[in-house]
Amino acid sequence: MATDTGKSGGTWSALRRFLLENGALTALAILVVVMSLLSDDFLTAQNLLNVGVQAAVIAILAFGVTFVIISGGIDLSVGSVAALSATVLGFLATVQGVPIWSALPLAAATGVACGLVNGVLIAYGRLPSFIATLAMLSIGRGLSLVLSEGSPISLPDSVAVLGRSLGGWLPVPVIIMLVMVLVTAVILRRTFAGRAMYAIGGNEEAARLSGIRVKRHQLGIYALSGLFAAVAGIILASRLASAQPQAAQGYELDAIAAVVIGGASLAGGVGSAFGTLVGALILAVLRNGLNLLSVSAFWQQVVIGVVIAIAVLFDTLRRRSGGGGGAGSGADSGTNGSRRKRGIRLAVAAAATALVVGALSFLTPNSGTETTRIGMSLSTLNNPFFLQMRDGAQAEADEAGVELVVTDAQDDASQQADQIQNFVSTGVAAMVINPVDSDAAGPPVGGANNADIPVVAADRGVNEAHVETLVASDNVEGGRLAAQELADAIGEEGRIVVLQGTPGTSASRERGSGFEEGIAEFPDIEVVARQPADFDRSKGLDVMTNMLQGNGDIDAVFAENDEMALGAAAALSSRGEEAVVIGFDGTPEGLEAVAEGTLYASVAQRPAELGRVALRNAIAVVEGESLEETVMVPVEVVTEENVDEFG
Amino acid sequence: MSSTDELLRVEGVRKAFPGVIALDDVDFDLRRGEVHALLGENGAGKSTLIKVLSGAHRPDRGRILVEDSETLVRDAQHAARLGIATIYQEFNLVPDVTVAENIFLGRQPRRFGFIDHRRMEAEAAALLERVGVDVSPRAKVRGLGIARLQMVEIAKALSLNAKVLIMDEPTAVLTTEEVERLFTIARRLREDGVGIVFITHHLEEIGALADRVTVLRDGRSVAHVGADTPEDELVRLMVGRSIDEQYPRERPETGESLLRVRGLTRAGHFEDVDLEVRAGEVVGLAGLVGAGRTEVARSVFGADPYDSGTVEVLDRPLPGGDVNAAMTAGLGLVPEDRKGQGLVLDASVEENLGLVTLGPTSKAGFVNLAGQRASARRIAGDLGVRMSSISQHVRTLSGGNQQKVVIGKWLLADSRVLILDEPTRGVDAGAKVEIYRLVNELTASGHAVLMISSDLPEVLGMSDRILVMAQGRITGELSAQEATQDAVMSLAVAAGPRSSTEEHEVEGHDGH
Repeated sequence: MATDTGKSGGTWSALRRFLLENGALTALAILVVVMSLLSDDFLTAQNLLNVGVQAAVIAILAFGVTFVIISGGIDLSVGSVAALSATVLGFLATVQGVPIWSALPLAAATGVACGLVNGVLIAYGRLPSFIATLAMLSIGRGLSLVLSEGSPISLPDSVAVLGRSLGGWLPVPVIIMLVMVLVTAVILRRTFAGRAMYAIGGNEEAARLSGIRVKRHQLGIYALSGLFAAVAGIILASRLASAQPQAAQGYELDAIAAVVIGGASLAGGVGSAFGTLVGALILAVLRNGLNLLSVSAFWQQVVIGVVIAIAVLFDTLRRRSGGGGGAGSGADSGTNGSRRKRGIRLAVAAAATALVVGALSFLTPNSGTETTRIGMSLSTLNNPFFLQMRDGAQAEADEAGVELVVTDAQDDASQQADQIQNFVSTGVAAMVINPVDSDAAGPPVGGANNADIPVVAADRGVNEAHVETLVASDNVEGGRLAAQELADAIGEEGRIVVLQGTPGTSASRERGSGFEEGIAEFPDIEVVARQPADFDRSKGLDVMTNMLQGNGDIDAVFAENDEMALGAAAALSSRGEEAVVIGFDGTPEGLEAVAEGTLYASVAQRPAELGRVALRNAIAVVEGESLEETVMVPVEVVTEENVDEFG
Repeated sequence: MSSTDELLRVEGVRKAFPGVIALDDVDFDLRRGEVHALLGENGAGKSTLIKVLSGAHRPDRGRILVEDSETLVRDAQHAARLGIATIYQEFNLVPDVTVAENIFLGRQPRRFGFIDHRRMEAEAAALLERVGVDVSPRAKVRGLGIARLQMVEIAKALSLNAKVLIMDEPTAVLTTEEVERLFTIARRLREDGVGIVFITHHLEEIGALADRVTVLRDGRSVAHVGADTPEDELVRLMVGRSIDEQYPRERPETGESLLRVRGLTRAGHFEDVDLEVRAGEVVGLAGLVGAGRTEVARSVFGADPYDSGTVEVLDRPLPGGDVNAAMTAGLGLVPEDRKGQGLVLDASVEENLGLVTLGPTSKAGFVNLAGQRASARRIAGDLGVRMSSISQHVRTLSGGNQQKVVIGKWLLADSRVLILDEPTRGVDAGAKVEIYRLVNELTASGHAVLMISSDLPEVLGMSDRILVMAQGRITGELSAQEATQDAVMSLAVAAGPRSSTEEHEVEGHDGH
């Protein structure tokens, strides 16, 4: 017994030393332990592979950013470049019919080209890397919207293979991620280009005076980052079998976080491929674990932020007190001091762990009871419409006595795919999916089909996969109704403007096309402007203000949702102008505005009813009932006269 | 009586860092109205001692008395309250803020919660006048010359009512004239009763300014002597042995012309510079700071462009502004700003030594890691770089050893002509001699050295020929035999034919 503990103590101390020397790895280990303690579903082979898949895109982006950060720069454009490369792939392969063996290299070349532009601007145009790549962030996103005309492009099956699994279990994205980490490590450690990155990041002038052609290397570094972004974009798109112009928004920040968590310094000169991989895995384990634990979608973001801070703090503490080797910065030394410091460090680590465990168990709803669990993935919770949908579903779940787990995809098709995957591995009885994008939801819902988990689509359909039923309100019909109402209000003649939703979303497309169809019947009504305001109130205000500036008096506004309509109304009233404003959705605020006369009308969708009906159908299918192919929730125009019947 | 005169006393102080005992049983004291010099080789413990005095480090053992009461100096703020001000080699000034705000940073006089600019500027002006420097309190710190920055630091120390002023190598970066001005200020402060601790490597400054000297060697205080102690004796105390020869120059036969520069001109920096360096030769480039010596060296090496003229290496013309062409032709540059331009501080000795040869020894883009490591080991051994291992970060090396690493990377590249810009600045006496020996070895094996130095005895002692620059032009050439300090200085201050000297005044080198 005694010898046993002695032995394990030796191994333990060796392990501890190793972990202390690799701060990010320690954080990852702590996370994995915590997650497997809290969730039985975490430590399974299938789920770990899921984590790998979910980490792959960020990891590959982050490898590219690692080169840039080591050389002392920053690359904010990788998310956009990934989306652009994927769009180019989709455009060439699907729209133009270019064979896949030449479309793939061209997509990669797109990434390289974007990187080269960054490189030229930075090395020869002397722009700060932050600014040059910020510009490319916008340019890349814009070009991918232009090329795709705002709509996702579905990819041929030969590309979608890249997002699937080999032999049914080994996911291709994981293989590619592992290959890329090796490539990155070899470049960084073994090649002249890699060693030059460290020298340039460490001291650019010293590198130049030692004969390293800094400008040329910078070109190469940003091109490499672009290439990696393209690979990440292709993986992302093939996983969703669809090239999304809006994909990978904000991924650049995740990638930078992964690099920094992995021990790199934003000042340059420090960083490694392995560290970045660990950083990306930390982010993926967190997201996956929080999904498995059904932590509230809002708290997830808080927890992720806290863990990023703790991971980097831990690493910094380790470095400051650790084997810096006589840097002379430590105020204490000698065995007493270092023992005390080690104590402090362990205490910090313990406190951090306790904090995470405590917070997670606090945030985790009581589970373990043998109730039916139903998963619900909403496209976003950043919008009252979907909040109402959630509340309706929750009310229905409470009545029926089932457990409802809600996740927030933050308008990111790839994140939604992760969440669906996680529902599958936690074994929910059924799921309600409100797709970010109908095409992109296909592959993950296909995964649910394979696992025999019934899926109910809500608000938007799912393409290329089986759903039990689609619960939706008719957006096209709503658009038509809005056009009719608007024409009546202004006497079938006048100048109007349209505020469009986020380009490329199905809601925007359908409402828009219904409205265009309806308004075409009134030849005396002229649509003088159509501009997107992304379903957002403050953007609605800004865009409306600009349109009023540019077009003079107008008679009516159609906004593709209430939020933008309220923004438009605010813009009108601040200029002292009056016009008929018609919104869409019938949110509580929208209805209130209709009652007050701020909005003329809203096309009410009854989102709570949508959520309620979707969940009712999901429960029905669990109980073995068969369903209609589609369930339509009525859409109705709400005006001042009938507003009291709603809300 | 003597007790009130004593500002500071240190008894038996010991300070250890992992693997190194930086201070061991050190005694030191400072009286009111005296200049006390701290002397010692780099690594002898001078910097650690002043960090202990200013609260940056806490001693492991021993005691510190401030005006006779035992005190633990907790940190820099505490030291400031005790009246101890420290001016480090790297100044603590914010470049884009005015002089007045820098002086009162964090303590700006306030009125109704707002900064009282008028009062602050008036007080700053008074302090600046006391220091005797002609700078407007409203001037931005960026753009002031290094000498003026130092004066601003001193004014800042005075604003704290400092009784003890500690200066770490204040003269290292100053010209002779600026040093004299600094000394005038120091003497005035001494008359006011301020105690000054000052570190220097220049022995002649001790006789000129100091009252007493404490010599540190290997972390111990080995001697407390008067400032009238002969220099030879001080050197012996510092290194523990006598250096028979401070400048051990051996002059081999000169051979073919390796570097030839004709009519090199860069508008606003230098004009019509001719120079030639032959195999086996050390050519010294002397002059005041700002005379354009560094600029010429950088243009010859391709680090900066030039407007007209030619550079030839081994009779082949070199394209301008192309570092790689210069390197390939056989030139190497050890820059003046070692930390800013010569080294990647957070990289290892091995990586720094391999910086130049990294590219050329790569095959198909892959670095020859084993070869790099082997040659780095060899050259570090040859140069006697004192380090714990080849993977130690160069940031943690002493100045002399850092300089050896910079020179070493060019030795690995086998450069025929090495341009050394202030090669021994901030390098201790022992390491200086090692660098001189290295220069001897290089020239003996047919290489050549172009050496820029503001240290006149060094230029006189090591050069075979001396070119003197003033205001961007070469004003004369002296052979080793005819060169004296006076001859060099009279050429260095010679007014060039160019009438406009605006650029130089803008650069902030104190005008005449």
